Amino acid sequence: MSDRTYEILFIADPELGETEVDNLITLVQGYVEKENAHVQRVERWGKKRLAYAIRKQREGSYVLIVADAKGGALKEVDRRLRVTDGVLKFIIVRVDEELRKAEGRRARRAKGDSKKRERPAPPAPVDAEEVEL
Amino acid sequence: MRSGGGSRGGSGGRGGAGAQKGKDAGKRYFFRRRKVCKFCMDKIDYIDYKDVKLLIPFVPERGKILPRRMFGTCAEHQRKLTQAIKRARNIALLPFAAE
Repeated sequence: MSDRTYEILFIADPELGETEVDNLITLVQGYVEKENAHVQRVERWGKKRLAYAIRKQREGSYVLIVADAKGGALKEVDRRLRVTDGVLKFIIVRVDEELRKAEGRRARRAKGDSKKRERPAPPAPVDAEEVEL
Repeated sequence: MRSGGGSRGGSGGRGGAGAQKGKDAGKRYFFRRRKVCKFCMDKIDYIDYKDVKLLIPFVPERGKILPRRMFGTCAEHQRKLTQAIKRARNIALLPFAAE
């Protein structure tokens, strides 16, 4: 069975300094690699405002790790992230299936574009202002 | 329907019957544009929960997910959109509720 692709997105404590965040990333990366998973890439988004307070923090540094792993391999990573200091919150999402489907749809469109789905451009969607609740 | 003889008689001097009918209809009903799914138009196949800019128009201030009837999103994309918004909420990119 081929590996699945996962996105691990976590929020690091905003009070951590640059190097501390770096250490945290290496730590988490270590968790992932320990499960025989291959880290594709790591993205640092920097400090962002949170939509709601987590542990009384209003902002946090986001870090995204994309990795290939076998099904269930990230269970341990999940458990460890829960107990790691400095991680406010995290989410692990499997993305390979969705991305593959999207890729297929794109390919199909590229092939048969002229045949169907040829419609004149419609007006822009209704403005959000009309949606007062 | 009120557009019968009465209204035609009332402003008969203004112009032909055809033009008048259009005018009447404009007054009485909102002109409703055909709503088409934004994601179908932009050919977005994968709605990414990390893409806040994409999601934000569908989450008005109150933090709710806009119903399909407002934006005309197609069923498939609305489903994916909902999933993406919920994921984004989980990781504090979008609010659960307004503060």
